Amino acid sequence: MSQVHIFGVRHHGPGSARRLVEALEALDPGIVLIEGPADASDILPMLADPEMKPPVALLGYANDAASDAVFWPFATFSPEYQAVIWAVRHNRPVEFIDLPVSWRLGEMQQQDIAVEDEASDPEGQGEQSDTSGDDDGAEAHTAQAQNEPPDKLSDTRSKVDWDPIGVLAEVAGYEDGESWWRDVIEENPQPGPVFEAVADAMTALREAAAAPDERELAREAHMRLAINKAAKSASGPVAVVCGAWHVPALKARHALKDDRALLKGAPKRKISTTWTPWTTPRLANASGYSAGVTAPGWCAHVWHSTPAHSSIRWLTSIAVVLREAGHSISTASLIEADRMGRALAVVRGRPQPGFEELRDAAIAVLCFGNSTLWDSVAAQLLVGSGVGSVPESVPHAPLLDDLQRQQKAARLKPEALEKELAVDLRTDSGLFRSTLLHRLNFLGVSWGKLTDAGKSRGTFRERWVLRWEPEYSVAVVENTIWGPTIELAANGKVSAQLATETSLSALATTVRDAMTAQLGAAVELGIEQLSHKAALTSDSGELLGALPPMADLLRYGEARTTDATQLEALMHRLVVQSALALPYAARALDTDAANLMRNNVKAADAAIQLAIEKSETLNQWYEALQLLLDDSKCSPLVAGAVAQILYTVERLQPADAAILLQRALSPGVEVAQAAAFFEGFFDGAGQRLLYDAELRTAVDEWLCQMDEETFVEHLPLLRRVLSGLDTSERSRLLDQLLGRAEASFTSLVLSENASTQWPPQLEVITEILTAAASSDNT
Amino acid sequence: MSETLRLPVEKTYETELAALAAGDDQACPTGWVLSPQAVVTYLMGGKAADGTVISPKYVGNKRLIESAVATLATDRALLLLGVPGTAKSWVSEHLTAAITGDSTMVIQCTSGTDENQVRYGWNYAQLLAKGPSREALVPTPLFRAMESGKLCRLEELTRMGSDVQDTLITVLSEKMMPIPELNDAVYASRGFNVIATANDRDKGVNDLSAALKRRFNVVVLPLPADMESEISIVSQRVSEMAESLDLPLPKNANDEITRVVSIFRELRAGETADGKVALKSPSGSLSTAEAIAVMIGGLSQAVYFNKGVLSAEGIAPNVLGAVVKDPVQDKAVLEEYLETVLKKRRGYSDYYKVMTDLV
Repeated sequence: MSQVHIFGVRHHGPGSARRLVEALEALDPGIVLIEGPADASDILPMLADPEMKPPVALLGYANDAASDAVFWPFATFSPEYQAVIWAVRHNRPVEFIDLPVSWRLGEMQQQDIAVEDEASDPEGQGEQSDTSGDDDGAEAHTAQAQNEPPDKLSDTRSKVDWDPIGVLAEVAGYEDGESWWRDVIEENPQPGPVFEAVADAMTALREAAAAPDERELAREAHMRLAINKAAKSASGPVAVVCGAWHVPALKARHALKDDRALLKGAPKRKISTTWTPWTTPRLANASGYSAGVTAPGWCAHVWHSTPAHSSIRWLTSIAVVLREAGHSISTASLIEADRMGRALAVVRGRPQPGFEELRDAAIAVLCFGNSTLWDSVAAQLLVGSGVGSVPESVPHAPLLDDLQRQQKAARLKPEALEKELAVDLRTDSGLFRSTLLHRLNFLGVSWGKLTDAGKSRGTFRERWVLRWEPEYSVAVVENTIWGPTIELAANGKVSAQLATETSLSALATTVRDAMTAQLGAAVELGIEQLSHKAALTSDSGELLGALPPMADLLRYGEARTTDATQLEALMHRLVVQSALALPYAARALDTDAANLMRNNVKAADAAIQLAIEKSETLNQWYEALQLLLDDSKCSPLVAGAVAQILYTVERLQPADAAILLQRALSPGVEVAQAAAFFEGFFDGAGQRLLYDAELRTAVDEWLCQMDEETFVEHLPLLRRVLSGLDTSERSRLLDQLLGRAEASFTSLVLSENASTQWPPQLEVITEILTAAASSDNT
Repeated sequence: MSETLRLPVEKTYETELAALAAGDDQACPTGWVLSPQAVVTYLMGGKAADGTVISPKYVGNKRLIESAVATLATDRALLLLGVPGTAKSWVSEHLTAAITGDSTMVIQCTSGTDENQVRYGWNYAQLLAKGPSREALVPTPLFRAMESGKLCRLEELTRMGSDVQDTLITVLSEKMMPIPELNDAVYASRGFNVIATANDRDKGVNDLSAALKRRFNVVVLPLPADMESEISIVSQRVSEMAESLDLPLPKNANDEITRVVSIFRELRAGETADGKVALKSPSGSLSTAEAIAVMIGGLSQAVYFNKGVLSAEGIAPNVLGAVVKDPVQDKAVLEEYLETVLKKRRGYSDYYKVMTDLV
């Protein structure tokens, strides 16, 4: 039997990683055992591949449902990663010893079945990442996560299991476990082996903690058995690297028989394992990875810098980020910040400045007390944006498997030749195909291109052109960081996009598209973002631009994924805000800006008429338009368009419109201005001249009072307005001008109580029609 | 009972300071009466070694006070920044009292402050009689603090003209003040330092030059973090002031304070209290001190013109005055707030009505 050495580490703790490497050098073990899923041991040495760039994650997923997946992320500063690297470099066997992935996923399956039995409503099973947390550093994607709201108690409990050192640090008043590790464990007044000290602390902690649950018992039994087995056959000492929490349990003596009994009835499921690239933001626990660290950037710094220069290096990197953001930070300030950090450490009774001291010093000296400035650079510093990469030799990713499964289900073959595809969204299969193609587009795989883009939700038919390119497979695999299935990955990617999007209209468009692709989680996040951004925007262009996609969302969005009332409130709010912003925005615009504004206002009005039924909000909108019309500084093109809108909805009486038109087109007004107003008013509405006698008269008079030169100047404009009419319409217009036809109605407006009046009328009509049909039959 | 209206804090809190000094076993920097740890205890409250209760002088984040004390311990000057009414002067006075036992060396900076009031002035009778000499020189608080190794306080630093502010640069970086007229200089004794307070969001302030700013460590004192503490600060101060102004306090005063403070906090924070709706913030600071002023204004209106009834009609115009500092921009912000938030909120309809009418 070889000697067993157990090293209790802090997951993703650079301090313990450094000490672990030293300890391994000193011990020179014959075999290295690591806390991790035992059935993934065979792909473990790949971690040392020179092309494997952390952060990467070990991914285990069920072969029958890739959405059941578990990730084990590794960063350069993770002790487990360093242990693997050490073992491979020294040609020592290295193995995982924790419960296998198959057990973990088998459990999920059992829970799934249990949940389905309980819940009759399958809609409740949204997919999202598991936030309930686990102590082996795994992040799970499960289908039932929503059904178990993590309560506070179990949260702290799992935190103690997962990061007991972090909890001890918190109790001692440290925000950062690494500083505590250094101050307390490494700077221990009684110098001694670090890992013994950790083990002692854990023994004390576990004595006070609640009894471990079944799963933890099973895990520790599995680890003990694996250690035992390795100790019998190993050629040298056995090194065990595990979370500090487990050290006392692994050191305790248990009968083999009892341990085996704990592992009886293991759930089994067919699984695959592989490596996938990971990102530094997803190492942070703010991303929802409950076993993550607060600040991966700080951990990387602690790992890469020598203790002697640690604080000045950190301050320098803060300065670099601040300088990149355009702030001038002098070297002298850095020296002062370093001094202040030291003084703060003295005031707080700590042996040396740690994370908090340096942060406070940086705020006071480098950011001039402005903590908002610190917050603005903190994300980049603390979280970073690093992405790992994996060598090409790693096994297939689940995303590709999922794609193949979905292609089969959709009966669509990836073909390199262009092929047209029309889908009917009213059928299930059509909707499925459309959703798949939309989702793939979000993932950067433009296998299908929509030919009539933008109108996808307004009609029930979509036309796609399909063409598969070989590089799409690579693109699919690259998306594995966002999730193990097409749906989860698209959700993840869009959510990330939404989080960084600053433009309101772009945000609304993305949310609308996400809804088309049925990405519930992303839509929800997007709506939250929208309401947040809406308040901060006063640019009317942005606000108006957001209205059309919002109206689509409201009109065609399934209420299932989002709270319709919330969406409605947001829409009303946007309308009110646009109405408030509008009067100031339409002044002093040049031709391009006026054109844009005109289009925005018209699109927004169409959206408002589509989505808003409340007369109060509508009133506010039309009052704003009225203000615009009355404002003499308003750009004439916009004013014309506004007049057209108001005229169409009968807010502007024909007589007033004629007066308005006459005034705008009167000889005193500059020709260019008058023409712009005319264009705005009649753009796309040439037919109106056919029906509206008063309007016709006003235009007629305007034209007749022009001298020849001006008339010629205006001819192109007139042609453009009248080009919308076909030959017969033109002849009718001529008839009317010559007094050979009678006047008719001016416009059609949706009655305010249409929603209540229409159903009974429809009933009557249906009755008449069906009666007619049945009488035909007889 | 002292005849003086208000004694310096080192006199008022003499027993607490003495108790802390007696039980202080930590190392003191040169010139300090207490150790840095004891100074933090004095500000934040706690217990001295002999059991004397130390009352909290500053209610808020301990980290900020630690930063301030650590700064002074490094011989770097300290700048306390914040909107009016965030206890900047209060903290600076107590820090000086705890560190040197003497909080009386103060320069009140205004736009009329010139270099003679910062560096040194001349006694012209002496100057004429004896010519330029140290005897003819009139020292300022800063001058005396340098000589005696104490702390000098500069109140409202940014109200002073930028050119005058910059005379501090040499003092802060080289710890000496040249007297070119005498071909001499004052060299600061150990223990000398400067605490300045300033206001960065007010009108009529002069920005600090970059050169001066980087000679300070800056600690920003924030407005109260939660609604409850702010309401209690406001109601306490309002009742105190009402008493001194002989204004009786109506029964509904606390309800009105709650409503005013919640409007202030929402506009200041840029989101509604439930965090569901984000808002724009007006250009004014909307500090706790302004909420107090609004309430006092409303109170006096109620007493003299409204038969002692405190109502939205009396208070809302004051709220409007506090919010709308910029007639165009702030008006739009307020309109949006009224339309999107206050209109629908229960119990605020009178505020909505009065303010909408006024806007």
